[in-house]
Amino acid sequence: MAVYEHDVLVIGAGLAGMRAAIQAQQMGADVAMISKVHPVRSHSNAAQGGINGPGVGEDGGPWEEHAFETTKASDYLGDQDAITVLAQEGGREVLQTEHWGVVYSRKPDGSMAVRAFGGMKKARTFFVGAITGQAILHVLYEQLMKPSIYKAMRNYEEWFVTSLIVDEGQCRGAVAMNIRTGELHAITAKATIICTGGLGRVYEPSTNALICTGDGIAQAYRAGAALMDMEMIQIHPTTLKGTGVLITEGARGEGAYLLNKDGERFMSKYAPSMMELASRDVVSRAEQTEIDEGRGVDGCVFLDLRHLGEKVIKERLEEIWEIARDLVNIDLTKELLPTLPGVHYSMGGVKTDTWGATAMPGLYSAGEAACVSVHGANRVGANSLLDTLVFGRRAAEHAVPWLRNQKVRPVPESVIDADRKMIQDVLNRPKNGDRVAKIRHDMGVSMSANVGLFRSPERLEKQVGILKELRARYDAVGVEDKGKVFNTDLLFHIELGYMLDCADTIVRSAIERKESRGAHTRLDYPNRDDENWLKHIVLTKQADGSEKMTYTPVTITQWQPQERKY
Amino acid sequence: MAELKYAFWPGCVSKGAAPELYVSTNLVAKALGIELVELDTATCTGAGVIQEQNPEMADALNARTFALAQQLGLPLMNICSTCQGIESMVQDKLTKRPDYLEKVNAILADEGLKYTPGLAIKNFLWVLVEDFGLDRLKKMVKRPLSGVRVGPFYGCYILRPSQILGKEEFPERDTYLEQVIEAVGATVVDYEGAKKCCGFPILTVNRENSLKQTGNHIHEAQDLGADALVSPCPLCHLNLDAQQPAAKQVTKHDIELPILHLPQMIGLALGIDSKELRLNHHVVSTKKLMDKLTAPVAR
Amino acid sequence: MKVKLKVKRAGPDGPSGYSSYEIDAAESVTLLDALIQVREYEDGTLALRCSCRSAICGSCSMRVDGRARLACRAKVIAITGGDENHELTVEPMGNMPVIKDLINDMELFWQKMRSVDPYLKPEGVEPEGEYRVPNETMLDLTHAMNCIMCGACVSDCTVLEVDKNFTAPAALAKAYRVVADPRDGHSHERLQKLSEYSGIWDCTRCNMCVEVCPKGVAPMNRILQLREMAIEEGIGGNSGVRHTNIFTKSITDGGRLNEIWMVPGSVGMFNVPRLMKEMPGALKMLRAGKLPFEQLIPPGAPGSAKMKGMDRVRNVIRKSASLKAPKPVVEE
Repeated sequence: MAVYEHDVLVIGAGLAGMRAAIQAQQMGADVAMISKVHPVRSHSNAAQGGINGPGVGEDGGPWEEHAFETTKASDYLGDQDAITVLAQEGGREVLQTEHWGVVYSRKPDGSMAVRAFGGMKKARTFFVGAITGQAILHVLYEQLMKPSIYKAMRNYEEWFVTSLIVDEGQCRGAVAMNIRTGELHAITAKATIICTGGLGRVYEPSTNALICTGDGIAQAYRAGAALMDMEMIQIHPTTLKGTGVLITEGARGEGAYLLNKDGERFMSKYAPSMMELASRDVVSRAEQTEIDEGRGVDGCVFLDLRHLGEKVIKERLEEIWEIARDLVNIDLTKELLPTLPGVHYSMGGVKTDTWGATAMPGLYSAGEAACVSVHGANRVGANSLLDTLVFGRRAAEHAVPWLRNQKVRPVPESVIDADRKMIQDVLNRPKNGDRVAKIRHDMGVSMSANVGLFRSPERLEKQVGILKELRARYDAVGVEDKGKVFNTDLLFHIELGYMLDCADTIVRSAIERKESRGAHTRLDYPNRDDENWLKHIVLTKQADGSEKMTYTPVTITQWQPQERKY
Repeated sequence: MAELKYAFWPGCVSKGAAPELYVSTNLVAKALGIELVELDTATCTGAGVIQEQNPEMADALNARTFALAQQLGLPLMNICSTCQGIESMVQDKLTKRPDYLEKVNAILADEGLKYTPGLAIKNFLWVLVEDFGLDRLKKMVKRPLSGVRVGPFYGCYILRPSQILGKEEFPERDTYLEQVIEAVGATVVDYEGAKKCCGFPILTVNRENSLKQTGNHIHEAQDLGADALVSPCPLCHLNLDAQQPAAKQVTKHDIELPILHLPQMIGLALGIDSKELRLNHHVVSTKKLMDKLTAPVAR
Repeated sequence: MKVKLKVKRAGPDGPSGYSSYEIDAAESVTLLDALIQVREYEDGTLALRCSCRSAICGSCSMRVDGRARLACRAKVIAITGGDENHELTVEPMGNMPVIKDLINDMELFWQKMRSVDPYLKPEGVEPEGEYRVPNETMLDLTHAMNCIMCGACVSDCTVLEVDKNFTAPAALAKAYRVVADPRDGHSHERLQKLSEYSGIWDCTRCNMCVEVCPKGVAPMNRILQLREMAIEEGIGGNSGVRHTNIFTKSITDGGRLNEIWMVPGSVGMFNVPRLMKEMPGALKMLRAGKLPFEQLIPPGAPGSAKMKGMDRVRNVIRKSASLKAPKPVVEE
């Protein structure tokens, strides 16, 4: 067991994490990056459709347009100062990735090509086929393999954070397990940036990878940092039945239709102007309504790409063509794809300012784990990749000069004791017939049923009770693998704890917000209520373990809330 | 059943350093009643080597071979895994890119030749199983190779990449060699090296690696009790047989395993004399194997 | 449907050998689904890497019945053909050490990757906007970028099996991605380095990596493209280039391969030590009657062996110079 010291500790090595790490390293800081999987396995690689490029060339258009449409799509819950930053600085990040080598699709004149995307009237989404996330992630990792960066940065690859270290109210790094040895260590830093991504696995099914278990969000919460907008869970309109695998919005961006069982393009009833490219919450609700009113088939509606033709599908949407063929035996050039809404993204997360800083000194967050908020109550497609790069960079840009003025005392080895004891307790628990997987499954299914697209007060309250039961079961269940090396059984147990914490905050926020806005739809409060609810719900764990709920007003700079029509 | 007739591309090696292959192929074809019309003006497929610096030349030359076969109105047969792999690759490329094929055909037109996609191109191994039929072969076996343990060695290019080698239409092509071994009464030796690489392509680039690949696979099969290996690829044969003594030296494995060409194995089972099949013209002696053939030829 | 699995175990504090499992699953089940079911409900000590379940993260590469593939794309019924008695043998990837059960230590993979300088090295002034490059090039590079670093090609590479110095398919495919990127300013030096030992000429062209790659990257085809580019750049002086030269000369001269001159032509006419190594083999071939005497005259020299109708062949060869072959694309 050891105590390591660094200037900056980045937790999570997806787009936000790697961007922050590169920035911090370029600014001369001693950087460490922790990831529970190898960086290229991060879930950023699953983003398919594209990245918005406000202000990039003619297609990018004026940044104000992008900012307004982002604000509108957020159902006016997005903080407009943060959105302005995103729109003003996003273009430069997109170009940076192109200069680093991302193989963006091109127009005949060699400039980057765009495709239409949801929520944007003008097409300003730059893309690499249907693998944009992977393409950018891999190029960032290429940069990390440069000897100057590779040798200078400490990469704790396949290390699992068990808790944040807080000393004298300041975040001082994290306690983490080297997964390969099972040993716990303290990795201390003057600034810690949480870039651990989302929490989609709290729901079942979801588009998210198995690793998206809300680790950093829960760790921040447990350490006393505030969480914001936790009730805002994005449900993506087009996912595969059963597995929940994502089918990119880029398909609709290229012109695909959504049809009900009668072959109607039903979006004309719900969003006559933007049709299939209305904001995601609008489309998902439309689909679910069609399904609930009997115009779906087997709980699905259909995505129709046939009219796009083989060339467009194979050149610009190759990835989903393969997914359809390999996972459900469907040829998108000839057949309809059954699809249904599925949990995809968490707009809420660790509350930060526009520099990624939380209220706790030394603690920053960026990417899906953070809530600035740029996405408000609903995220626009192709803005997440942008968010990770802009705010990943900004968090580092702020943290590095800040930490130079910090005088901190060294962290004692004893910080590891609590986590060591927690793990030993779990390992000591006898078999009791229950299993981590069963509890997780029950959590996921009940969250989908009770805290999904359409929320009712009865079901929300019911979920509170269910979560309590699940928590009791969780506190009693043990693991089968008692070994030290790569004990994934133990890791899943710890992850379930993170997920239950996240689930609690989601449900409580959902109960509290008595209106419908963006992704949050209350059957008992079907309208948006700007008079009472133009504010964020903030949850903070107190020192005595109780939870405090407060509100933060939405920052409005340019655009007064209007009725949101598509 | 209709008599089988093929345009025959013998490849380079059977007319060069492996004459035993050419001779035994013709003997066996005759015995099986398969008529072979040799394309004596067709050229080397390029073996993937020409493709490294000049894929266009290789495409044109292969298209020409296809066109020559089509001029005769016959399917094309080869006796080399490498030829098969290259021919299938070129065929696939030309079929998928009709614009490219058009340009290639413009060049072939000088000779009055034209290639139209749809030509059946089959290695002798595939011909045996798919066109001739193993049941029919079994009936013709006069000297079953009972008690003889044979390890199959396919040769990379008759197996990979499987999509262009007819995997969809003929999903069992990667088991044919075992099937044929059993059809002639021998026992299959199941070993991992059967579908790996003999190393011939890098013999002159990295001799040590090449001979290690050869030596390791032979050693593995021999260790498992093989009396011989059989291969439908004469380039593999060059490494496995001609370079076997060198492989022994490099790997320090104590190997001595005769390597049969596919038609030779068939020929033995059909009762053809081993000397006629030129089994006494290998670098690694086949004598022990011949001694093991105990079953008398049925009269 | 019943699914039978035989999984290789290893690790310092767990079981070793093979563990057998039998579970009930839907017909559409993938190997990954089955392994997760085992790990969650049958045997919590089974360790494997997995994350996205949709072939984009590259975590779950493993050997199934002897061949490397992604567990999340391995439909059980496609492998067993519906035979419920077919026990799937599941093992970790080859060529790399094993940490535990199905988890390999992929440091070898990453070290090879780093060795090819896999990042863009632009030259000259950076444009204000984006670099202007043709879409066709980006599409071609996208196929190489489809690589999800799963390791399947490295696992089953037949050269890596006998020589751990070989750079191996994944890194070479990545090398193609930077060499062929018009925004990189160092193609020539890269190709020079790649032409040395352990690089592009050490691939035995067995297509194993093409066969096992789950994303259609076709690493071997990338290696061949690099070879073509190296030759175009005039980078020679190695056996690989000489080999393709003598081979091509042999065919343009006589229509068939001259096996005798293939060796000295490749290794160098005056490379006595190397040529001496071939003498014993050559003598044995002579004794076995396998030496093709008509090949004794080298290609290009007067009287060399020629096929019938070579003038027609030469016409085709000459005119083929005007063709432009389409770039290879593998659909998996």
